[in-house]
Amino acid sequence: MVNALSTRRELRSPIRYVDWFLPLVAIGISVLGVLMNYSATWRVLEFEGNDPYQFAKRQTVFVLIGIVAMTVAALVDYRIVRDLAPQLYLIALAMLVGVLFIGKEVGGARAWFQLPGFQLQPSEFGKLASIAALAAFAASRDGGLQLNGLLNSVVLMAVPTLLVLRGGDLGTMLVYIAITMGVLLVAGTKVRHIVVLTLIGVAAITFAFTADDVFGIELLPDRQDERLRAFLDQDSNVTEANYQLEQSQIALGSGGLTGRGYLAGSQTTLNLVPEQETDFIFTAAGEELGFLFGSLPLLAAYFFLIWRILRAAQLAADMFGTLLCVGVLSMLLFQIFQNLGMTMGIMPIAGIPLPFMSHGGSSIITAFVGIGLVLNVRARRFAT
Amino acid sequence: MSDSSTSPDSTNTGLRLAFLGVVVVALFAALFARIWFLQVLATEEFRAKAETNQVRLVVLAPERGRILDRNGVVLADSEFTGVIRVNPSQFGEGDRELVLRELERLTGEPQEVIAERMDDLAAAPFSFRTVAIGIEEPLLELVTERSLPGVEAAWEARRIYPEGSLAAHVVGYIGAQPAGWVDDHPGASYLPNDRIGRAGVEGLFEATLRGTAGTSTVEVDRENNVVRELGETPSRPGDDVVLTIDLELQKAVEFFLDEGLREAQGRSSVDDPRFLYPAYAGVAVVVDVRNGDVLAMASFPTYKPEWLTDGITSAQYKATFNDPQRPGPLNNRAVQGLYAPGSVFKLVTSVAAARAGVITPRGQFVDAGSFTVPVPNGGTFSNAGKVVMGAVDLSTAITRSSDAYFYSAAYSISTLEGQAQWAIQDAAKDFGFGSETGVQLPFERPGTIPDPAVKKAIFEAIPEYQNEDNTIFWVPGDTINMSIGQGFVTATPLQIVNAYAAFANGGTVFQPNIVSQSISREVDTAGDVTREFGPRVSNTIDFSGVPVDVIREGLEGVPLNRISRAFGLVSGTASTAFDGWDHRGWGIVGKTGTSESDGINKVLGRKKEDNAVFVGYAPRDDPRYAVIVVMEESGFGGTAAAPVARKIFEALRTLEQTWEEPEDLPLLAAEPVGANCPELPITVLRDATIDLVVPEGCPFGEPIPVVEPGTADDEGALAPDSPGLLTTIVNRQRPPPSPSTTAKAGERQRW
Repeated sequence: MVNALSTRRELRSPIRYVDWFLPLVAIGISVLGVLMNYSATWRVLEFEGNDPYQFAKRQTVFVLIGIVAMTVAALVDYRIVRDLAPQLYLIALAMLVGVLFIGKEVGGARAWFQLPGFQLQPSEFGKLASIAALAAFAASRDGGLQLNGLLNSVVLMAVPTLLVLRGGDLGTMLVYIAITMGVLLVAGTKVRHIVVLTLIGVAAITFAFTADDVFGIELLPDRQDERLRAFLDQDSNVTEANYQLEQSQIALGSGGLTGRGYLAGSQTTLNLVPEQETDFIFTAAGEELGFLFGSLPLLAAYFFLIWRILRAAQLAADMFGTLLCVGVLSMLLFQIFQNLGMTMGIMPIAGIPLPFMSHGGSSIITAFVGIGLVLNVRARRFAT
Repeated sequence: MSDSSTSPDSTNTGLRLAFLGVVVVALFAALFARIWFLQVLATEEFRAKAETNQVRLVVLAPERGRILDRNGVVLADSEFTGVIRVNPSQFGEGDRELVLRELERLTGEPQEVIAERMDDLAAAPFSFRTVAIGIEEPLLELVTERSLPGVEAAWEARRIYPEGSLAAHVVGYIGAQPAGWVDDHPGASYLPNDRIGRAGVEGLFEATLRGTAGTSTVEVDRENNVVRELGETPSRPGDDVVLTIDLELQKAVEFFLDEGLREAQGRSSVDDPRFLYPAYAGVAVVVDVRNGDVLAMASFPTYKPEWLTDGITSAQYKATFNDPQRPGPLNNRAVQGLYAPGSVFKLVTSVAAARAGVITPRGQFVDAGSFTVPVPNGGTFSNAGKVVMGAVDLSTAITRSSDAYFYSAAYSISTLEGQAQWAIQDAAKDFGFGSETGVQLPFERPGTIPDPAVKKAIFEAIPEYQNEDNTIFWVPGDTINMSIGQGFVTATPLQIVNAYAAFANGGTVFQPNIVSQSISREVDTAGDVTREFGPRVSNTIDFSGVPVDVIREGLEGVPLNRISRAFGLVSGTASTAFDGWDHRGWGIVGKTGTSESDGINKVLGRKKEDNAVFVGYAPRDDPRYAVIVVMEESGFGGTAAAPVARKIFEALRTLEQTWEEPEDLPLLAAEPVGANCPELPITVLRDATIDLVVPEGCPFGEPIPVVEPGTADDEGALAPDSPGLLTTIVNRQRPPPSPSTTAKAGERQRW
């Protein structure tokens, strides 16, 4: 009796069901990210008389913090996250409002708290809080989301989404929309509701981009407008965004099958791709390591990551667990697709970091915590 | 799992997750297809685009800071000038004649002159050579429009020195980098062809003056014209550096020193009246005894910095740098010249003898013209000219410069036990001898205050000095020689005048300042003082037990004919030179020196004549200025150097009336001198013919021997080396100095 009980307890122990591949691949990608951060920044740093390792060192610290955060997120039972979801959501909203007033403006977006030594981007952590809140709300509705529940869910997500847009950060806003779409889809929204919602979304985006020309109301910053135009007409030769698109593709294309060699890519070392250590970090890997050693392994690693998260969503013990995984999946999938697509010229430019690779603490830590939550859900699929 | 309605296992959720899986696969398939296209199918095209990428990272050269005198008079400035450059290696058939003809028509310079500059043998092969400078903008545009083969017109930053050779050794000059400069200065954004400060304040304050280069990313068309700018980090101008030099005084000092040297060249030698004194070189320095500011510093022979920055003809080059009658014009003898101080060192010996207790200040000593060392060592040391002075005390021994008095005192010191026998060395070090003063000038030498270890090192390094059994002992004769500033004692003129300044102000040895501050020229902080050198104290001399009043009385007597109760008429060694001076109103306190120098005069092929020295301070009752004049191979200090000093004192007395009292700034601790810097072999330190270069970063030390500009090694360093990736230099509106064409130190350009 005693024996059987203890065996059963052991069988249910979460540690038995940890998906070790998931964190290992994430850490692998982030190590490559540190190397590419160095490659993209050392020359200019050195030329300006700074420590050439400055960015690589910072990124290393971010990755280490991210790994610790991932471990913590995996250890605390995710059902506690469900119970605390309302509080987390309200804290995130408070921060998103606060940043509008006391935030620091970077590149036209007021999305950062300036803290000593680093900047904190509340919209990154807000993504996780919103995922938790939406998943908790949707999971509490029995038998799929009816119209009432759907509308409540949409309002729940609309508040942080609009706050992020108010801060001028269009890219991150799109991530929130992607999260909403993904979670609502799996939460059991009726197909016709999804179709209507999508149509409304498309109309809203079209309106936002054309409002300036048609109605004379400026809804989007010029910069964003310019980026979309540059994307739609890639041969136009006037804007910085267009230049960015072109240089980014030259970097990837000239990398070829085997790459130009680490620290030897001319686009990368000459700093010809703007914002390379952040949004365009993939081009550094693509140019210097090439298709075989850079782009393909990276694509495969990201695909593997996403696939394991999907698997975790399927295996989850309860609906909240499933939706939590789906939220993280939607967030990462959209960011990866949008970011890589942008560097390859199949998506317009929007300032979205590449998870685990782009320089920046908030984004790295958020991605790792997301993985931690997925590990948590999968490992506790038999735990009571 | 009991609650089936929320279970993910319900078919519906499974289906929806499967749909999500399809989306994932589709998106990744799209990414894969695109990256396959970019990197595998179209890579050739993109690689070609990367090769011919019409984007250049351009370095924006910073504007170099100015060098100003203490009143703001500009001594070094930068300006842009139009230049025309020609690269003959780009000529096709018949181009040479065309270019020569057209350039003659456009610039008005004769074809032969242009051809000579174009074919400059000293220029790197296949490089552009500058054929005309100072071109006005319209002509510059005309030349550009004409687009002659191998010809370019450009703006070039040029360093100008509006005051010419005035204070040239203090200001310094800029020139090509020594080999390895860029690698040795990572992070300072140097390009291989950037010119750097090579001497003087230009050299030592290179980092301050230079500023920070900016970068600009620009897109260019096929002709390298800038189409648009894609991003810029602007350059930041270098700071202005303000000297403590007063240019009016500097002018006077240089004029009088030059005049004095020429007068000396007209006097026949006392040793051999068939010869005139060579008097090739000299030094004069004025310091403020109250705070250590260097008010004037002249070194002859001198040079014009623009000869080194703009280029000179080979005739000019030879006349300037290879003339044996103008030895070492680039050397700043005030800090690099090592001289036996001679009798002016008796100030130190007096203090040492009093401290050691071997003399009584008013005690009389009979100067019999020489001093014989008792057995076992033996040996006789004579006065200069074997003059017999009779009875002297400390005061009159200084006034009349009795060597025998100090020989005797030095012998007594040498017989003492323990540290007391090194009293002269200790006193010399108290006064700052034997180590760099720490003035903000490069290549400063420490001089030598000998002790057994130094003597041993010198003898071991110089084989001719060694005796047969190769024993090296410190003997009383060494101390005796030292007492009158001969033997192994060497000092720079700045050290000597600084020691007298310390005596004048009551014992404060300053680390002299020749730079008072640096001033920002950046837009938002323009005019802010970025660095200030207050009065820095390196030592305070303890005069307890030293009869300072007797020593001062002796020094006060030097320019006088004084009636003493004990000795009758005491004639100072500089009394003739200061005849008729207003001794009551503005009395002078000083000492003459006539020091023997080793070696052979290369021009005349005979033993070198004595160096003439005068050092002193004034006014007697409220000392403010200390002056030193050193004239190489010019005879007696009282005859050659003292008259020059007199004129400098006159100038000081006049100019002083327009000056303000110096600010009463708090005294600061001395900065470390020569810390963390490698020591040089003693043979190099003692060799007056080797120029030393001190790089930035070890400002008060780290001397590295460097060959004179113009020699083969130096030119090797000028060759345009591998450009690396950051070579394109464009100065947006003003095209850049191109590699290899700017004039370099020692480069023989013929105009």
